[in-house]
Amino acid sequence: MTATIHTSVPAGTSPPAPARASGRKRVGLGEKAIPYLLLAPAVVVMLVLLGWPAIQVVGISFRKLDLGELVRGELVWVGLGNYSEVLADPEFWTITVRTVLFTASVVAGTVLAGLFIALLMRHLAGPVRVFVQITLVLAWATPILATTTVFQWIFDQQYGILNKTLVALGLDSFRGYSWFSSGTSTLAVIGILVLWQAVPFVCFTIYAGLLQAPKELYEAAAMDGASPWQTFATVSWPSIRPLVTLVTFLSVIWDFKVFAQVWAIRQGGPDGESTTLPVLLYLRGIADRSFGVASAIAVLMILVLLVLTARYLQLLLRTREGDVS
Amino acid sequence: MKRWTKAVAGAAAIALATAGCAGSGGDSSEQNSGEPRTLTVWLMNGSAPETLTTALNKEFEGANEGVTVKYEVQEWNGIQDKLTTALASQDPPDIIELGNTQAPSFAAEGVLTDLTGDVDSMNGDQWLDSLKSSGEWDGKQFSTPFYAANRSVIYRTDMFQQAGITAPPTSREEWLDAITKLRAKFGSDPQFQALYLPGQNWYTLLSFIYDEGGDIAKADGTEFKATMDSPEAKAGIEFYKQLLEASGTTAPKDNDEQNPEQAGIYGQGKVAMMIALPWELGTAATDNPDIEKNSSAFPIPSKKAGETAPVFQGGSNLAIPVNSKNGDLAKDYLKLLLSDKYQKQLAEAGMVPGASTDLSALDANPVSKAMAEASKNGRAVPATPKWATIEAGQNPLKDMLTAYLMGAKDIDTATKDANAALDAAFTG
Repeated sequence: MTATIHTSVPAGTSPPAPARASGRKRVGLGEKAIPYLLLAPAVVVMLVLLGWPAIQVVGISFRKLDLGELVRGELVWVGLGNYSEVLADPEFWTITVRTVLFTASVVAGTVLAGLFIALLMRHLAGPVRVFVQITLVLAWATPILATTTVFQWIFDQQYGILNKTLVALGLDSFRGYSWFSSGTSTLAVIGILVLWQAVPFVCFTIYAGLLQAPKELYEAAAMDGASPWQTFATVSWPSIRPLVTLVTFLSVIWDFKVFAQVWAIRQGGPDGESTTLPVLLYLRGIADRSFGVASAIAVLMILVLLVLTARYLQLLLRTREGDVS
Repeated sequence: MKRWTKAVAGAAAIALATAGCAGSGGDSSEQNSGEPRTLTVWLMNGSAPETLTTALNKEFEGANEGVTVKYEVQEWNGIQDKLTTALASQDPPDIIELGNTQAPSFAAEGVLTDLTGDVDSMNGDQWLDSLKSSGEWDGKQFSTPFYAANRSVIYRTDMFQQAGITAPPTSREEWLDAITKLRAKFGSDPQFQALYLPGQNWYTLLSFIYDEGGDIAKADGTEFKATMDSPEAKAGIEFYKQLLEASGTTAPKDNDEQNPEQAGIYGQGKVAMMIALPWELGTAATDNPDIEKNSSAFPIPSKKAGETAPVFQGGSNLAIPVNSKNGDLAKDYLKLLLSDKYQKQLAEAGMVPGASTDLSALDANPVSKAMAEASKNGRAVPATPKWATIEAGQNPLKDMLTAYLMGAKDIDTATKDANAALDAAFTG
């Protein structure tokens, strides 16, 4: 298919020898194949490690697969039984709504905080900026469970530094106050914890975008007497918009499937009020060993996530250069 | 290249595990004796002391020609997942140790060998009731007792003496009275706690509920119905609250005895009592070596003076996976492990033996002695397969305690909610 193009190019100089032309043709094919060959190992690994298990999950979601079936190697098809069981449980819908709200608040908080710190960093003097950046990297680099443990202690009822500080400030009602006595309060603490760990990445990404905006534009805006808000809207925003979209999309995916922090703080309690979809998946799959039901929940989670990220995926498919804004 | 093949092999293994097509169907082919055979035994970290298992394995290999015992110590952390994958494999271990609260879930799934016919030959007449019932499902015996432990009140002898308490309490009144005396003596120290009791120590709550004549649930065959809203259960919760409020404890009401670890707090030397397992004193002693010689223990007192309260018995059961290819050998191994000789060694190591009523070896240590005294009245959680799910997931008893103790719910609402959550878990 490429032969016509190749032969037409050297036509101007000297008539190409047939042998040379066919040689070129072979090189052309080889060159075409190289990128695919280079990609192949990664694609195969992804198919084996991600694709196959994903297909398995969908398959298992149509089976009854408890410990007994697993050990005896039985194949028990139940059709849509697992799905109807999950969907008929009002608790599932409560948890889904709770997970979506939790994701939305944490993503909004993360992106706004990241954006704010990124804008702030542009105005900070060198050493202060480096200090802020190091702090952010440290917050980011701390292992999830280490940070979670620190947060557990901060919010501890008797020994926590937060309650002690609030009491020292004269707010005596916080003596022995339990931050984990209701689902909302527990989720708020978990939200702050997730946000704490997610802001650095968002912040650095947006800051990188801000550095792309030409300095002259800021100077021009300043000379035209633009207010800070106008400068942000006309100069900064256009250069970071694609990145903000990107980090929002990524944050939605990450925050939707947060498990370790939620589980470590209160195992989805009290009374299951901080249970999110990933925790429900764990309860059904690992604690209860109903792998079929758990797979159905996993598939439903993917569907919810698809709905949440539909807008971004639409943009991604429409644009060719990956310029999503 | 090497890494490559490893990755592919790993992926294939994961796929097989998730697909669940690795089961062998349990067609164990009987091999002739004399041929070399390997018996794989999985016991848990911290259960049988090494001296015991070394002697046991040596004796077993000597008595069975050509048999090698492959003895492996497993960690409790993540054991449920490890057992799930191991049981589903072609070559599962031949003997496994299960936590007594997990045992019914494995039995109900039909993945353990029925041992009903072998009970008598395994010291069955001496089995500990609570562990025997954990091993039963639908009228059959699927796992045998191994060892048990239960909580007692570990206390500071020096503080009791200074407060003028001459003998350890033997009734609830005396217990509360001791707390009053301790607080009168040491109360000026704001860090002093007569009894350390967090809000979610549900094992202790069970003692009080059993003592009132109540229970978590009632069994009807293989069906379970929660009974946390019974007057007896409520009375048990009320006493928990009374005790907690009398104790002057600063333990969190919204957490359990592991968060923060109560042994560490006892080890700081400002706590006169804690309701704990014997080895928690050892943990406390790592921070404060002197505390061990100033500590002793008494059984949790009953409301009836002179008696000890029934206790929740934690412990382990032993079972043979249904896919084991050496079922006959495994049974012989169990018989040996459950014989008087090795059960006595378990008692010497400070555990309540599961298959022997001879507890004399525990009397050597005052803390073990208190445990042994209370162990005669040991109980287990309902033998429903769903209890493992509750413990691995969300325990309604903990939420109930916190809600009631912090005043978020009254006793009727708290117990009603817990009852509903338990019933949902039993049937779910």
